[in-house]
Amino acid sequence: MSNIKIVRGEFDTRLELVNAGVTAGFPSPADDYIHDTLDFNRDFIRHPEASFYGYVEGDSMKDAGLFDGDRVIIDRAVEPHDGSIVVAWWDGGFTMKYLDLTHRKEGYIELRPANPDYPVFKIKDPENFQIWGTVIHLIRTFEKF
Amino acid sequence: MFRPDLEGRPIVVLSNNDGCVVARSNEAKKMGIQEGTPYFRLAQQFPGQKIAVFSSNYELYGELTGRVVSIIRQEAPAYFRYSIDECFMYLDGIAPDRLQQWGEHLHRRVRREVGLPISIGLAPNKTLAKIASKLAKKYAAYKHCCIIDNDYKRQRALAWCPIEDVWGIGRRYAAKLKALGCHSALDLASHHRDWVQLTFNNINMLRTWQELNGEDVVPNEELARKKSICTSRSFQGMIADKEALRTHVANYAARCAEKLRMQQSVASTVGVFVHTNAFREDLAQYWNFQETSLLTPTSSTTLVVRAALEVLDRIFVEGYRYKKAGVIVMNIDPDSPVQTDLFDLSAEQIQKMRRLDEVVDRINRLHGSETVVVGAQQYTLKDGRGKAEVFANAIKHDFRSKNPTTRWSDIIRLR
Repeated sequence: MSNIKIVRGEFDTRLELVNAGVTAGFPSPADDYIHDTLDFNRDFIRHPEASFYGYVEGDSMKDAGLFDGDRVIIDRAVEPHDGSIVVAWWDGGFTMKYLDLTHRKEGYIELRPANPDYPVFKIKDPENFQIWGTVIHLIRTFEKF
Repeated sequence: MFRPDLEGRPIVVLSNNDGCVVARSNEAKKMGIQEGTPYFRLAQQFPGQKIAVFSSNYELYGELTGRVVSIIRQEAPAYFRYSIDECFMYLDGIAPDRLQQWGEHLHRRVRREVGLPISIGLAPNKTLAKIASKLAKKYAAYKHCCIIDNDYKRQRALAWCPIEDVWGIGRRYAAKLKALGCHSALDLASHHRDWVQLTFNNINMLRTWQELNGEDVVPNEELARKKSICTSRSFQGMIADKEALRTHVANYAARCAEKLRMQQSVASTVGVFVHTNAFREDLAQYWNFQETSLLTPTSSTTLVVRAALEVLDRIFVEGYRYKKAGVIVMNIDPDSPVQTDLFDLSAEQIQKMRRLDEVVDRINRLHGSETVVVGAQQYTLKDGRGKAEVFANAIKHDFRSKNPTTRWSDIIRLR
């Protein structure tokens, strides 16, 4: 035991155990083709420190395919652009809408719903308004498990 | 962060059990709210003023500061997390003339991505860096990053810093230093080394003096592991019932064991104290503290709880109304292969306990703390009616914020 060093800590990357402990027999030809298992956290959450989750409430974004009860993943490290779906703090609550920067030079931006029954918000006054993050994924569960 | 409507408003956070103010926003500080103000006094002292009040929510704070540390890991050559909200970084390899820019970038990145504001202090050692970070927090002109890199800046910072705010100087030493005429950090630093040594004869005080004078002498290893861990709380009312007191002590012991495991260490002494309400001069008073040694150093919830309850049996006296109790674990060592005692548990049993704790910790992390507890941690109602009430419900936190990063039920709602 004395020459074994115990290393502690959380490791970001999991290592595949290739041929671990096998000292006899023919090496598996598959060893050359081992890849890391697909992993949603690794492949879909690019900025774990900046990622947050939210529930969709209501149908103001239904034409964008976002329905009541859906879960979305919000990445605050992603700079929103014209047409991004953003989460904004506006009028005392969080809202999710299309960001429209067409009129930025004229001194205002717009939050557009994806549902003709809802109004477009014109935002001139940066007080009480804040773009909180950019929506990057949608999660909808079809079967309870 | 999840309440942008509160930005720029006075906010206070209360201690466990909503007793008194433990943290204040800059706006609350400006109003003159003092740290330690009991909650019930706030309304009397500041009538008609809008103050946002929150209970402590360490589940949220721990998760968010973990994100900050994770960004720091990407931005700094080396770092060392000191507490839930403090982190030391070593910036070897960053050019001195680029440090300010680097600090402002780090602040901006954390602010944007995680949403928390941080203050950065850069200096030749940890004591001065702490003072620099206080300056960065207080004065907007520093742009969240204050550097002490020459003697002029050092002297000015020390003159600004009250002695009780110097890192490592406790309440008692601060009082003594003030009595000796040291009111600012500069007053202490200007004394001769011999004076410090003769007056205090204390290695830590000498180190503080050396650091204030620019040397880098406080070693990391000693900071990394705490020498003792204490979990204690004042009760809502007072407790006379032994069973109720046992429940509380079991919970404090369980929390101590969890803290031990978090820093990968084990303890070999478990102490328990209880006391009555010293402010109630009309009631009979009692105070006691005792400890017990464990044959094998441990961080197992089961074993620490068992030891604490044994000690409680020895010090509990019927007939008093108790106001506060606490559990302290001492003689802490790294959790390397532990020397087992011949008469204690077998190695196999210890392995099993460790696996059990690992599983419990994981469940509690996933599903919120105190999902799984040992039996002694639960209240049973007197008449045996209904399910046992979990301890978490016994702590008062009327103004608890949500946990949007650790519980699906609390994630933000998007209209």
